[in-house]
Amino acid sequence: MASPVKSKSMATIRVQRFNPDSDAKPYMQEFQVPNLQGTTLLDALHRIKHEQDGSLTFRRSCRHAICGSCAMNVNGRNILVCKAPLQGQLDRKGAVTIKPLPYLPIIKDLVVDRSTFWNEYLRVKPWLVPPATSPEKEFRMSPQEVAALHNAETCIMCGACYSACQVVALNKEYIGPHALLKSFLRVLDPRDSIPGERLAEVGTDEGVFRCHTIFNCIDACPKNLNPTQAIETLRRLAQKRTAFEAARVERQRTIAGSLDAEVTPAAEGGVGDVP
Amino acid sequence: MYRSTGFVSFVLRRLTGIALVLYLIAHIWVIGSVNGGPELFNSRLAAVQTPIFKLAEVALLAAVVYHAFDGIRLLIVHYFDVTEYRKSLFYAAFVVSVILTIAGGLPILLFAFQG
Repeated sequence: MASPVKSKSMATIRVQRFNPDSDAKPYMQEFQVPNLQGTTLLDALHRIKHEQDGSLTFRRSCRHAICGSCAMNVNGRNILVCKAPLQGQLDRKGAVTIKPLPYLPIIKDLVVDRSTFWNEYLRVKPWLVPPATSPEKEFRMSPQEVAALHNAETCIMCGACYSACQVVALNKEYIGPHALLKSFLRVLDPRDSIPGERLAEVGTDEGVFRCHTIFNCIDACPKNLNPTQAIETLRRLAQKRTAFEAARVERQRTIAGSLDAEVTPAAEGGVGDVP
Repeated sequence: MYRSTGFVSFVLRRLTGIALVLYLIAHIWVIGSVNGGPELFNSRLAAVQTPIFKLAEVALLAAVVYHAFDGIRLLIVHYFDVTEYRKSLFYAAFVVSVILTIAGGLPILLFAFQG
């Protein structure tokens, strides 16, 4: 790998700073850190905080790309800094630009206010609402039904998609790709008993019909999920909400039956009904 | 600003949409004047026969063609599972629009500046 940055021993980290107590507006500040192989951007930020400027503020927790705390805007793209190698992000001059997630109010430096993100998340009731009658031992789902949920269930709620979305930038009433993806997960789950209510909530001009199909959510997602496709699926289901709801009731009758009951997902309110 | 091909298509779609609405107003301004008699109609029609309006006609063609093909692109995304090809679809819509604008725009300009 003959990279032009490899010859530089130091890397330049340009960080957007903002302290609401003393600054009128955000400004850029440069730091120099050793350009070492195996260093992540989060390591570089830690190094700055520990050795150069303790006031540098950012969110981080697990360092394993699973807590979703450290999503930031690096060179114009929303990524998780804990899983981004420093050398992979440096430009020809050996510099990288780190800003907070765009379109959200800045609390301090790289920390943004995620209130709207969480409020919209709660709005779609992200939890599973089981049917009144539960099976004695277990819910039986087919492999197809489980596979259909894979697009949504590994979301880590980092906010990269939400703050990359231009519709969110223009309209804070928009539910947002993260919450719509979660709603998709619940609507398609055959164990959930309120798909009709969910589709009524997201099937509005503040939900799936507000999406302008810009695809930034797909490009930003660090887990390679596809919120746009989930939104497209919800759009189709919202248009035949009553029929889908009836199919789900029938499907749950099958789930709640004995373990010996034949599970026919494609026929009864399962993924077979999803276009 | 979060830049991407999706953002470019979003901005172009809006700009061409606004341009088409403005064109519609101008179009009604000219065609609607037929109610005011032949003299008024002829005078307004003459006002939009100048070379600058011929160039504007080519721009109008570009706006119509791009807006239409971008709409077709979105319909394809809505009805088929093709988000994987999102960038290719955008480039395809853009290139087809450019080709059709050139194919339609050249005759407009040749006719306008020859005659």
